[in-house]
Amino acid sequence: MNKLYRKIFIAIFVVPSFLILIGVVFYPFLYNVVISLSNMNLRHITDWHLVGLNQYQKVFTEPTQPSFYDIFLKTIIWTVANVLFHVVIGVFLALILNQSIRGKSVYRTLLILPWAIPQYIVALTWRGMFNYEYGSINLVLTKYLHLPAVEWLKNPTEAFLACILTNVWLGFPFMMVVALGALQSIPHELYEAADIDGASWFYKLKNITLPLIRPVMIPAITLGIVWTFNNLNIIWLVSNGGEPSDSTHILVSFVYKAAFNLYRYGYAAALSMVIFVVLLVLSLTFMKKTKATEAAY
Amino acid sequence: MRFVPVFVLIFASLLAACTPERDPKRVVIWHQMRVDERVILEEQMKKYMSLHPDVHLEAIYKETEELRSGFIIAAIAGQGPDLVYGPSDQVGPFQVMNIIRPMEPLFDTSWLNSFTPKALTWYKGHLYQIADKLGNHLTLVYNKKFVQKPPETDEELVALCRKLTVDTNGDGRTDRYGLVWNYTEPFFFVPFMSGFGGWVMDDSGHPTLDNRGVIDGLKFIRDLRDKYKVIPAEADYNIADALFKDGKAAMIINGDWSWSGYRKAEIDIGVAPLPKITETGLWCAPMVSPKGYSINRNVPDEKIPLILDVLKFLMSPENELETGKALSTMPTRVSLYSDPFIENDEILKNSREQIEHGRAMPVVPELRAIWDAMRPNYQAVLGGVKTPEDAARDMQALALRKIEEMNE
Amino acid sequence: MNNFRKKKFVQRLAAHIVLILFSIIAVYPVLQVVTISLRPADKLLSTSLEIIPQNATLKSYVKLFTEQPFLLWLRNSAAVSLTVTLTGVVLAAMAGYAFSRFNFMGKRMGLLSLLLTQMFPATMLLLPLYIMLIYLGLINTYLGIIITYTATALPFCIWTMKGYYDTIPTSLEEAARIDGCNQFEAFYKVILPLAAPALVITGLFSFMTAWAEYIVAAQILQDTELWTLPLGLKSFEANMSTEWGLYGAASLLVMIPVVILFLVLSRWLVSGLTLGSVKG
Repeated sequence: MNKLYRKIFIAIFVVPSFLILIGVVFYPFLYNVVISLSNMNLRHITDWHLVGLNQYQKVFTEPTQPSFYDIFLKTIIWTVANVLFHVVIGVFLALILNQSIRGKSVYRTLLILPWAIPQYIVALTWRGMFNYEYGSINLVLTKYLHLPAVEWLKNPTEAFLACILTNVWLGFPFMMVVALGALQSIPHELYEAADIDGASWFYKLKNITLPLIRPVMIPAITLGIVWTFNNLNIIWLVSNGGEPSDSTHILVSFVYKAAFNLYRYGYAAALSMVIFVVLLVLSLTFMKKTKATEAAY
Repeated sequence: MRFVPVFVLIFASLLAACTPERDPKRVVIWHQMRVDERVILEEQMKKYMSLHPDVHLEAIYKETEELRSGFIIAAIAGQGPDLVYGPSDQVGPFQVMNIIRPMEPLFDTSWLNSFTPKALTWYKGHLYQIADKLGNHLTLVYNKKFVQKPPETDEELVALCRKLTVDTNGDGRTDRYGLVWNYTEPFFFVPFMSGFGGWVMDDSGHPTLDNRGVIDGLKFIRDLRDKYKVIPAEADYNIADALFKDGKAAMIINGDWSWSGYRKAEIDIGVAPLPKITETGLWCAPMVSPKGYSINRNVPDEKIPLILDVLKFLMSPENELETGKALSTMPTRVSLYSDPFIENDEILKNSREQIEHGRAMPVVPELRAIWDAMRPNYQAVLGGVKTPEDAARDMQALALRKIEEMNE
Repeated sequence: MNNFRKKKFVQRLAAHIVLILFSIIAVYPVLQVVTISLRPADKLLSTSLEIIPQNATLKSYVKLFTEQPFLLWLRNSAAVSLTVTLTGVVLAAMAGYAFSRFNFMGKRMGLLSLLLTQMFPATMLLLPLYIMLIYLGLINTYLGIIITYTATALPFCIWTMKGYYDTIPTSLEEAARIDGCNQFEAFYKVILPLAAPALVITGLFSFMTAWAEYIVAAQILQDTELWTLPLGLKSFEANMSTEWGLYGAASLLVMIPVVILFLVLSRWLVSGLTLGSVKG
């Protein structure tokens, strides 16, 4: 088709989306960059002025408890563990559900409930389930599995684990739905041909299924990484704001505390920018390794 | 199909069009009142609107923290409600950010004097908040099924708790605890600290956390759990509440906001002042705070007379009495203190006594930093990770640092 | 369909066992919320493990409809979410297609920027967003939050659509063009139906973005008549005296439209390439 028509076509298809995106995200982003270079806080809420890289210096060198690097490491662990389990469980369940079994829609409906239910109450319910004396999890551990009860919310490691478990529960349905969609893009002829050649299920999984669901899974996984990295809600609710003793923070929850508890908006903005850069580097690396922006065929 | 985007935009703009207008006869109040308080407020607002048909009052609920940050964001951007209602500690940050108005030039002194001085929050020489309720204080709440006479000293408390902490079915797990409270918020630690002679800050806002009062207070609660074993291993607000409501705890330390909830749960509760500490001779002193209205700086001057009229109505003696009777909260008009109900109602009587033992919650913004410094250390002591001495010392250091950071 | 019947009974049984196990895990916390909604005294937690509590009552549900403007919130949320779903799906279907089929200047940057918009912690964007919306007069309007939600959902949706389109061979459009369609008709009549599964994902995601969102709505919508469900639910909360009965009941009811939507949309979660269009 001729060049002008092509350009118009692309414009109509792409521009409206980007107008909205730029409008809603671009300005706030710039604002945040500016604030991160300023001293906006309780004492300087409207009369702030630029102070250069001060806030950034504080982000990296302030003796916070825990330290910036500890929180950073925690955030990485948080992200990797969650996304890994979300994807593995999601794809696993999607594969099973993609076959003709009876009661498929019942299962699908039940399995999507964690995504559908409002997070606040269910996160607090999970927190209740982790209570040492009265929570269901310890009760199951002690009564049915005869294992010792775990002091979930009192110890930093266990509390962190509790947050991860809750978030895995909340997140696998999403990946399951995406995987279900992705599986639809695989033509059956490929499986049939493989069957004729006597391929094992493992071979089919490895050489047909997994490569072909990639184009659809990759956006979900990449964005899953980004969202999980920045997921404030669950950590905040399950650990009640970083307990015990601020040791269950990830970078975002720490930012939230700094900004909204102590009105240190400049500092929080700088920390947000650092989070942003970290995520940028991580996702670019991930995308490069998986060649995410290319087509599968 | 092609027209779908167009329809969407039209539909969307129709939705956009059906928004109420901002008009000068519309007064908006943002508050953090819990449900039973809200119900009363709505009724009182309705009464006002029936007397003044051209005025529209609207009250919007926001949770305390969100109220604070939401109001800040809105007010800085030149918007926000006309009145903001909350505890007195929000005055400090709001004043520093210059988003609320001084109120003393707006009212005549005789009206202001009809309030108990505790209800008027002055800060840096100006009046910034007038309260209609006094309290927000912790008390000892006991279940009359288990406790007939509440303890008056800490020794009585420990003895009573030991009697009440029982294992009813012999499985080695405690089935009922003597006492329970929220272990995660330092607000709940304040009474213990003050009973042993400590307080969060001195008169100039400087934190005073590394002192005997704090250390002994921490030791006491640690002993309650580890030595006497009368309180559970872990408890946050919801757990403590559940235990008490389920009859698994005979007593709970909780504030005036919780009493009507317990009555609704059909627990026959008694309210008593927190005990006196024999060692120091001091009563445990929880923080007492008024809850009241402040005026948004962005309110145009022409609207002020209407705002004042609304305030005077909502805080009239009749309305405050009605509120006090329904919610067991302490009113703020001096004239009401001799009202027979206020004087004689069992819960209000005890509440008043507790308020008299209590100390006013500081208003300065530094309190936030102090809470943030106390919280992790308080939790660490109960978590068995730190000794009380270390915790007190760390609290103080952290508080100083956080205050410095906040004030740069 | 894979020829399932050829597989052994044991494998089918294993599949059911796995599904049942995961379903239990998925459902148990939700059942807790049911319990909360039936409990009479606003208790979030309880020391007993019963699912149907003692003195179970439906009072909270009744109160929800009679004393609270639940239906108003429902209507508002439905209007906003459906609009966002529509805009999200339409815009993403189009933009994703362009990214998949064409190479143009700024394509890579465009895709990357989609990603960038997601990397910022939302709480930090609140204040400037608020200021900007005031400036545009969009505070306290549905247009304001619809635009914001669409912007939040678009990156994932565009990219997913693109990914799915990438699995559809361009030979199909070529065949259509040869048959006399122009590019748009080829897109609309041939490719789009085949991308139905991706549209399902996109639609569901856009809906959820709007349906469950609280923070932005709380900042932008000031009038109680405009409240969406998350704001309504929040009003049952109080720092230390939440009305858990109402909250639980409302949370469960809020789930139902999502589940219904999912059930409706899953009809299209079928392999498009077997809809009999074209042979490889």
